[in-house]
Amino acid sequence: MNKFMTTFNLTFFSKIKAKSFIFTTLIIIAGMFIAFNLDKIINLFNSDDEALMLEVDAEESFLTVFEPTLASFDDTIEIVDSDGSATLEIVSTEPLQAEIRMDEEISDTREQNIQLALNETNRAYVLQTLNLSEAEISQMYEEVPVDFLVASEEGSGGFEAADADETNILNMVIFYFSVILMFIILISYASQIATEIANEKSSRVIEMIVSSIRPTQHLMAKIFAMIAVSVLQIVLITIGGLIAFYFSDTTELLDQFGLEANDQTLKIIIYCIIFVILGLILYLSVSAMLGSFINRMEDLQQGLMPVTFLSMIGYFIALGGISFADNIAVTITSYFPFFTPFVMPLRLLVNDTGHAPMIIGIVIMIITIIITLLLAGYIYKRSVLSTESGIMKNIKRIRK
Amino acid sequence: MTDSIGYLPEERGLHPKLTVFEQIIYLAELKGMSKKDANSALDYWLDRFKVTENKFKKIEKLSKGNQQKIQLIASIIHNPKLIILDEPFSGLDPINVEMLKDAVKDLNQQGSTIIFSTHRMEHVEELCEELCILDRGKQIVSGNIDQIKQDFGQKEIIIEGEHDISFIKDMPGVLEMKQVRHKSVIKIAEEKYAEEIYNRVTALGFFKRFQINEPSLNDIFISKVGRDYE
Repeated sequence: MNKFMTTFNLTFFSKIKAKSFIFTTLIIIAGMFIAFNLDKIINLFNSDDEALMLEVDAEESFLTVFEPTLASFDDTIEIVDSDGSATLEIVSTEPLQAEIRMDEEISDTREQNIQLALNETNRAYVLQTLNLSEAEISQMYEEVPVDFLVASEEGSGGFEAADADETNILNMVIFYFSVILMFIILISYASQIATEIANEKSSRVIEMIVSSIRPTQHLMAKIFAMIAVSVLQIVLITIGGLIAFYFSDTTELLDQFGLEANDQTLKIIIYCIIFVILGLILYLSVSAMLGSFINRMEDLQQGLMPVTFLSMIGYFIALGGISFADNIAVTITSYFPFFTPFVMPLRLLVNDTGHAPMIIGIVIMIITIIITLLLAGYIYKRSVLSTESGIMKNIKRIRK
Repeated sequence: MTDSIGYLPEERGLHPKLTVFEQIIYLAELKGMSKKDANSALDYWLDRFKVTENKFKKIEKLSKGNQQKIQLIASIIHNPKLIILDEPFSGLDPINVEMLKDAVKDLNQQGSTIIFSTHRMEHVEELCEELCILDRGKQIVSGNIDQIKQDFGQKEIIIEGEHDISFIKDMPGVLEMKQVRHKSVIKIAEEKYAEEIYNRVTALGFFKRFQINEPSLNDIFISKVGRDYE
């Protein structure tokens, strides 16, 4: 077996057999199972499952309006003639004032729904007293028609209808999930690879290793092994998620949160996967390079600060930029290689983002990754046996 | 080319979290050995150094002496033609030093060239044929050890006996005379001065010991380097 694969295998298998890898993967998959069955879990704890029997002490005319209104707000409250666990008494009708006497406390949600139903009933009453006709009442509730137009691209001076679609919620969820997952895995693996490399230096095992294998070859094997481990973890999480989705009845959950795929969903999933993988490769390469500057384990966190800061900035731009995804700041930052994996998928949430910016982002990242790997190899070769700690000292020494 | 070289660094350098088996197999595979051959060789050396029970223990759990043995195994397991040993006996008790010295001698007899770095001149005397003394990166002495001793010229006489021989320090050719426990140790500039001393001493009567020694490498080192060596 060649030397690259020897180091690759040692690093890869030692990482996937580690407890942290196994537990983290299982915890995330378990989290996904919980997420896909959230509605059922909520219902287990929700005492509102049991219908509330509400006696209403009011005139028939009031009941005629109130009953259907209440049903539209909350279908778990049933109006009964007697033996109710709560009684609604209309104290006065002008103005409408009510009192509810309960055998035991009801949830805030039910209280709110009863309040809303009473408000709506009161509104109907007031409208009646104003003697407005049906047509006038309909006019009052009518939505104002608005045409959203955008300047047409040909520059002819004309306008065409803007795409009135709102950001699809499922697409947003996919984007959030991929950004958060990438950030968590990136921070974890960046720290791990820097630790591996710094550990070899501080324990001096690298002196024996470089007598057998070229330093650059050793470094590349480590980087690619860590990339393989992180990709494997993402694949396992994705498979676990798909299994969780397949075995969970998510219909109600998807309806409840309005999660519905559109024609952009598949594109978003594919690009999110690509950018997550490219982001991991880039940040792991940089972390490996920074790890080669570290001589003592106590300096590890300080040494990794550049990676921590860059990834945090990218992460916050991505999360904060959700409400202005077509803003120029988002567009510009999406082309900075260290922010690209976080911010570029955000632009997919704006419906008119084509493939071109994505392809450009991917190309920028690939070029940056190649440059980073070459630089990492160059620096590692010259600092692997150095006993000086700190980026600046090592750079000065390498430049001599 | 590096597959034919074995290197034992001065500082102990092994992955603390790996087991002996994992560490040695990894380093052996880096030297081009197959896993099977590496495992057989590992069993041989663990048995030879009497540390078989440590095969699946983590490196960090081993004593310093045992870690040194494991590190030596890692540097020689692939039968290198050139072995570089930097302070191989540091931290070892006398029994383990003897064990490792035997191993090093065997390797040399099997055809390996050994570059051995140490501050312990007695080990050099025992193991080495050629010597190079460095001081601040500069070569002070180099060559065959016997030749170096011969060229150095000085000899050492050890005398043990009951008679007073303090007059020897004033004799021609005597550079230094000191008492070490029951022995008198005399340094002479050349071997030719030994005969006169012998005649004068034996004229006094019975002496338990009269021995002429080659200069020790320790003395050569101190003399050539010219100051106390830390």
